[in-house]
Amino acid sequence: MFLQETTPDTSGYMIAGYVITFIILGIYVASMYLRNRNYNQDMTLLDEMERVETAKQAKPAATAAKKAAKSGTKKSRK
Amino acid sequence: MAKQSIQRAGISRQSSGNFFQAIRAIVWKDLRAEFRSYELLSAMLVFSLLVLLIFNFALELDVKTRQSVTAGVLWATFAFAGTLGLNRSMAIEKDRGCLDGLLLAPVDRSAIYFGKFISNLVFMLIVEAIVLPLYSVLYNTNLFQPGLILVILLGSIGYTSVGTLLAAMSVQTRTRDVLLPILLFPVAFAVLLAAVKASGGFLDGSDFSEISFPINLLIGYDIIFIATSFMVFDNIVEE
Amino acid sequence: MNSKPLALKILDAVSLLLLLAAAYLAIFVAPTEKVMGDVQRVFYFHIGTAWVALVGFVFTAGLSVIYLVTKDLKWDRIQVAAVEVSVVFFLITIILGSIWARPAWNTWWTWDPRLTTAAITELIYIAYFMLRQGIDDPDRRARFGAVYALIGGLSAPITFFAIRLFRTIHPVVIAGTNAEAEGTFSMTPEMRSAFFFALFAFTIIFIDLFWNRIRLGETQDKVEQLKLKVTM
Repeated sequence: MFLQETTPDTSGYMIAGYVITFIILGIYVASMYLRNRNYNQDMTLLDEMERVETAKQAKPAATAAKKAAKSGTKKSRK
Repeated sequence: MAKQSIQRAGISRQSSGNFFQAIRAIVWKDLRAEFRSYELLSAMLVFSLLVLLIFNFALELDVKTRQSVTAGVLWATFAFAGTLGLNRSMAIEKDRGCLDGLLLAPVDRSAIYFGKFISNLVFMLIVEAIVLPLYSVLYNTNLFQPGLILVILLGSIGYTSVGTLLAAMSVQTRTRDVLLPILLFPVAFAVLLAAVKASGGFLDGSDFSEISFPINLLIGYDIIFIATSFMVFDNIVEE
Repeated sequence: MNSKPLALKILDAVSLLLLLAAAYLAIFVAPTEKVMGDVQRVFYFHIGTAWVALVGFVFTAGLSVIYLVTKDLKWDRIQVAAVEVSVVFFLITIILGSIWARPAWNTWWTWDPRLTTAAITELIYIAYFMLRQGIDDPDRRARFGAVYALIGGLSAPITFFAIRLFRTIHPVVIAGTNAEAEGTFSMTPEMRSAFFFALFAFTIIFIDLFWNRIRLGETQDKVEQLKLKVTM
């Protein structure tokens, strides 16, 4: 009679392996998603800031233009 | 850009003479500075001895086992001391503003690489030349075999060739000194491995057939990395 | 903030499906290996991720050369994506290798040549990120990164050959035989199909993650530029 080997039950390791694989891939995808979301939030914030900046710069330019117009009309009156 | 083209024009006219002169000048400058202060060599030497001491306690070997780890201990020591030397050598360059001065000179960038490579190599070899007899005396083993000397030479060349390039990079980062071992050890692993194998082979008195492969590997590594580092060095020291 | 191109959205879905399909094939369809049992099934993903990661690393070295020649930062962005995705895949490779090793060789780790080279290669590319982190100037960061990736890429195969000096217990499944390798098995046709499917699936998954990562890098660059503009 020959000795019949039984196949060892290593399914626990297999499950561990696949679970870990999916977890690592999942974490990586999540990290990309979160980073992307953060960058988009930064962008909206920065866009907002830029708009405020250009608005501020527009204001004094507008008031300066108004002043110039006023003094111009004054001069013409004299 | 204009400066570079003028420099290149100047170089192409006086090409090779200028190149080797520059290398010689850099090496000479480093050697003279070092032999005035012994700053690098003393640090590397003391450090090497301390490392040997630590290994002695850490491994606590009987005479027989000690023989089998001699090659490993030696190369670990050389690697650590080498890192120290490379770091300091480049840091000195940067701190004293010598690097900027060299860059302003109408010299091919790769001459700077070769100059630093050779001076770093000389310092490493000097330290090894002192550690080797010291180890022989402390552990009563005869390390003076021509084969071993050859391996030490080839290994040091390989280690310093990459080390000089990586040190030039790491000294320009925020993390400076700390970064060099992180960059260097994985890359230099092949050199260290081949060197240990070859050294061990010579110390054991193994067949030449067993030693020829690591030696060829060392030679190959040296050639590949000297060539690559020299070609790529320009990109490291641009302004 | 451009929306994802349709092609990429489709690729995302396809990649996920392929991943699940490859897992299904490996776990339920492929036959059980006689000597090791079920743990051998991790082999399909182990080789799948290894193959893709190594190609990724070689690709990275090529990108270094392209960047250093063209000095176009676009290639730097692509390189970062390639390295990052490769690092993740190779990490999976190493962990799966360790999980396979435990029942097969009765140890979680061994300083065997392939494993050691794998660990070192992974460390090289982690060092790549540490190098980049220490540099603020984008141009210098790109240059240094490219140089290191090139040097690292050149050293990896040399390291592998260097360690081949030593005997290995790592199984050699495809190239030749090694009498001392434990855990070697020969593949049946069913195993072969699961194996090649896994290779194919991971190639697609790599491309998907890689493309996504490049887009992330583009967004990042836009944010950096905008930051500079606003704080001027």
